[in-house]
Amino acid sequence: MSLIAVNGLSKAFDGKQVVKDLTFQLEPGKCVALLGPNGAGKTTTLRLLAGFTRPTEGNITFDEQSLSTDIRNYVGYLPQFPVFHNWMTGMEFLIYVGQLSYLSKSEATERASQLMDRVGIGDAKKQRIGKYSGGMRQRLGIAQALMNKPKLIMLDEPVSALDPIGRREVLNLMNELKKDATILFSTHILNDAEEVSDELLLLHRGELVEQGSLDQLNNLHQTGKIELTFSDNPDSLKEDLEKLSTVEHVDVHNRSVNIITSDEDATRKELLQYVTAKDLPLTKYEVAKTTLEDLFMKVVSK
Amino acid sequence: MQWSVIFKKEMVEYVRNVKWIWVPIVFLIFGIMDLITTYYLPKIIESVGGMPEGAQVNIPTPAPEQAFFMSIGEYGTMGILIIALVSMGLIAGELKSGVYELVLSKPVKYSNYVTAKWAALSTLILTSLFIGLLAGWYYANILYGDVSFGTFIGTFLIYSIYILFFITISVFVNTWFKRPGMVLFVSLLFIILVNIITSIFGHYLTWSPGHLSSYLNGYIHTGNVTGDLWGTLATTLFLIVILLFSAVTVLKNKEM
Repeated sequence: MSLIAVNGLSKAFDGKQVVKDLTFQLEPGKCVALLGPNGAGKTTTLRLLAGFTRPTEGNITFDEQSLSTDIRNYVGYLPQFPVFHNWMTGMEFLIYVGQLSYLSKSEATERASQLMDRVGIGDAKKQRIGKYSGGMRQRLGIAQALMNKPKLIMLDEPVSALDPIGRREVLNLMNELKKDATILFSTHILNDAEEVSDELLLLHRGELVEQGSLDQLNNLHQTGKIELTFSDNPDSLKEDLEKLSTVEHVDVHNRSVNIITSDEDATRKELLQYVTAKDLPLTKYEVAKTTLEDLFMKVVSK
Repeated sequence: MQWSVIFKKEMVEYVRNVKWIWVPIVFLIFGIMDLITTYYLPKIIESVGGMPEGAQVNIPTPAPEQAFFMSIGEYGTMGILIIALVSMGLIAGELKSGVYELVLSKPVKYSNYVTAKWAALSTLILTSLFIGLLAGWYYANILYGDVSFGTFIGTFLIYSIYILFFITISVFVNTWFKRPGMVLFVSLLFIILVNIITSIFGHYLTWSPGHLSSYLNGYIHTGNVTGDLWGTLATTLFLIVILLFSAVTVLKNKEM
């Protein structure tokens, strides 16, 4: 059973398609990364799910019910650049949005206090938000998204604006949050996606170009990549290697050679025969895996 | 519950950004400014050298009712401008800054959001109007002669409806634009148009809100609430409800 099902979702602004025919499901308890370069339609997708704009076509189904109920009851949303009422203190703002989510004043106060501690700004509870640093605002933004105990947490670029330490802490926090809720977050940083997400949605120019778990995607797009290193710089290697029947592409960097192949086994035989025949000083033979980065670059450069 | 949360938040905001101080003070000044300058005008002219020899300038002392009505005249122009300034960011400001992304991603009913903000703004403005008119009535009594307390209360109640009408226009326009400056401009244009249309087609539109202050002048002098005044009050209240309802609908269907 999926928590949220998106079917044929499209959005056009002034005739320009920003999001095209998105179809995907989010399973409960999963952390899903919405990955794509800048301008791929990540923010628009999240805003569609948060109800800030209406789809041109398609629909969103939450928890098997059509959206007659207010989706905002179950969703926590962190925009890319969260803006607060700067005249409030962090606690006041959290209590305010908590009460807007139908918590009682005492419930909201208790939860606000816990969340401030949890996101690591417990010291700034009574400080005006106007005096918060960028990182503190981002953390307060995460805290406010959690006030109503959402089933779905949507975070728009939650770590892009943070320093390495902040980034680490927020990623850890997201790993914790996975236990209680489904997370959908957007990012253009592959490492972040690889680190916390169970599944990936790869967006490019508004279209969903790939989706699946990390392993699935890796297997699906795995091509043989062999890395050879020699102790000496061999001459005419590139030309010779390119003549081998199974080799698709050869890159030579100093003493190491990268080979892309369609058939790893066949290439290994041919390569080793060639190396033995020529008596080349081979020091390393490695079968490399294509990374998410390779996949990302491949998709984006299409 | 949710409504009162938003209402209280607005009230705290008005305290922190000192609107609860400067708006009543400005309304107080507008309420008594004309009364006092008119009263002391002969003395002011005297003290700066007086009239040239032979000049026959007769400055009539206004009747107490007329003097009291001067406050209304000031609110009809400068007061409206101040209200437009205070209210231009009410909703548009939150849309522009982006706070709405956090507030409206919570299950906030749009009707609560609009009407609570409207009510908070109205509380601030009408309280200021009450203080200003009270001071105007007090000085009219001291300097010009008797105006009954009943007339003051009646004037406040009637004129409140006109001020509420303009507040509601501004709230309505707030839901259309993201730029507070635009809200200021369009809401002033709106009330000016209401007044122009009233003065051109006044004979047909006898219950137009634009007539309210001239009917009010009649009320202050006679103490009678005429049929036309009742009709105008009813029309204005009706328009307030329509505008508020439209504001909620516009915001609900807005692409943000």
